[in-house]
Amino acid sequence: MVIVTLQRNKCIGCNYCVEMASLQFQMSKKDGKSVLLNSIEKKGFFTLKSHDNSIFEDCLQAQKACPVKIITVKQV
Amino acid sequence: MTSTGKIELMAPAGNFESLQAALDNGADSIYFGVEQLNMRARASINFTLKDLSEITRRCKGKNVRTYLTLNTIIYDHDLSLVKTLLDAAKNAGVTAVIAMDQAVIAYARQINMEVHISTQINITNIETVKFYSLFADTMVMSRELSLRQVKKICDQIKKEEIKGPSGNLVEVEVFGHGALCMAVSGKCYLSLHSYNSSANRGACKQNCRKKYTVTDQETGFEIELDNEYMMSPKDLCTLDFLDQVIDTGVKVLKVEGRGRSPEYVATVIKTYREAIDAYYDDTYTKEKVVTWMGELEKVYNRGFWSGYYLGQKLGEWSDGSGSQATQKKVYVGKGVHYFPKAGIAEFKIEAYDIMLGDKLLVTGPTTGAKEFHLTGIMVNDKNSENAKKGDSCTIPLDFRIRLSDKLYKIVPS
Repeated sequence: MVIVTLQRNKCIGCNYCVEMASLQFQMSKKDGKSVLLNSIEKKGFFTLKSHDNSIFEDCLQAQKACPVKIITVKQV
Repeated sequence: MTSTGKIELMAPAGNFESLQAALDNGADSIYFGVEQLNMRARASINFTLKDLSEITRRCKGKNVRTYLTLNTIIYDHDLSLVKTLLDAAKNAGVTAVIAMDQAVIAYARQINMEVHISTQINITNIETVKFYSLFADTMVMSRELSLRQVKKICDQIKKEEIKGPSGNLVEVEVFGHGALCMAVSGKCYLSLHSYNSSANRGACKQNCRKKYTVTDQETGFEIELDNEYMMSPKDLCTLDFLDQVIDTGVKVLKVEGRGRSPEYVATVIKTYREAIDAYYDDTYTKEKVVTWMGELEKVYNRGFWSGYYLGQKLGEWSDGSGSQATQKKVYVGKGVHYFPKAGIAEFKIEAYDIMLGDKLLVTGPTTGAKEFHLTGIMVNDKNSENAKKGDSCTIPLDFRIRLSDKLYKIVPS
């Protein structure tokens, strides 16, 4: 399982996560911040739990690329 | 331009503490960012949309103009937020928006909001001033212009009667004090190259401020440098030639520092306020400049230089990564209560002892930044010469403190 989290309120809208993992991230046209697709929000943290292990690499690239370090990716 | 005809002193406001410090120390206008589309997007504390009405309420109470910085590059996915921010700013009564991107300029004009052209556009000649006068009433000149070049532009504006959308002559704004970039401000890829963190999106990581060496990869030979801080210019300071700056005809003097502390804002704005007033009173003297420079050196600085105003020359580089301030603050404790009738403030001492004669500082979102000398302390209802960690103490104070306030001691660096 791959677990991806996004601390959305700190996003500065740079778009890198979409460049690296366009199937998991989108930019919101409403507030210009990143959206982690199919995620569940709890206390400002958006979490995606996926059984598709193939998303791990792209999400890891998104984590590395994020300039404000608000994305975490784990494989469990 | 102020109603008094004096040059407008424009202060940075990164949070409510700094905003209040600017208001209390004589700023004519303040500039601030909201959400992520400003050059301090990385800042740990940024104003939000909800803060707009409180910002304008406080400023209107003091007849201070408010400028929203919306001067990053704008992507397609930001366009809706741009409109949201500008609509909210207009509704809250914000005076003007400081813009770089044409999308921001266009929408601001569409809703009839005053526009100021940001330094990021890098205006260096009168024809560009004419072009932007179609959209903007105030323009920040490029930092690489000399005062002679700035004066020529100001003179031409008057001579050719170049007016902005308001129908008034275009006003020229220049930077007066604070950090300078090695690159054109906000037009730098260094941070982007090294950390994916774009200065053009307000996410500069300031790697230009670090120490670097130059090494021959083949031989390992390291070039000896006089100064390893080869990309970190000293801070701009115009106080010692402020008369020359004002004589150019510029209307707005901007102090940089939305990322700096409230006491920095308080000290710098207070000092420039005194200097500007002295210029107009014909009491601006060399002796006063020496005193004022001493005040400016107390707060965060990388050393001072005159930028490119007095002629273009090789930049002066700082010789350290941090501040060269002559004093610093250490946390002492927090505010508990204020007794207005008695003029007494109660503090809880949490970290550092204080004693009679100490120079103290109180900061808070409503209080701003206020310094005072400790003239009396009471601990457990008894007069004391000091208060120690763990004590609750009362201090005579002529200003109100609040629960959210922090108490610091000012000590030499």
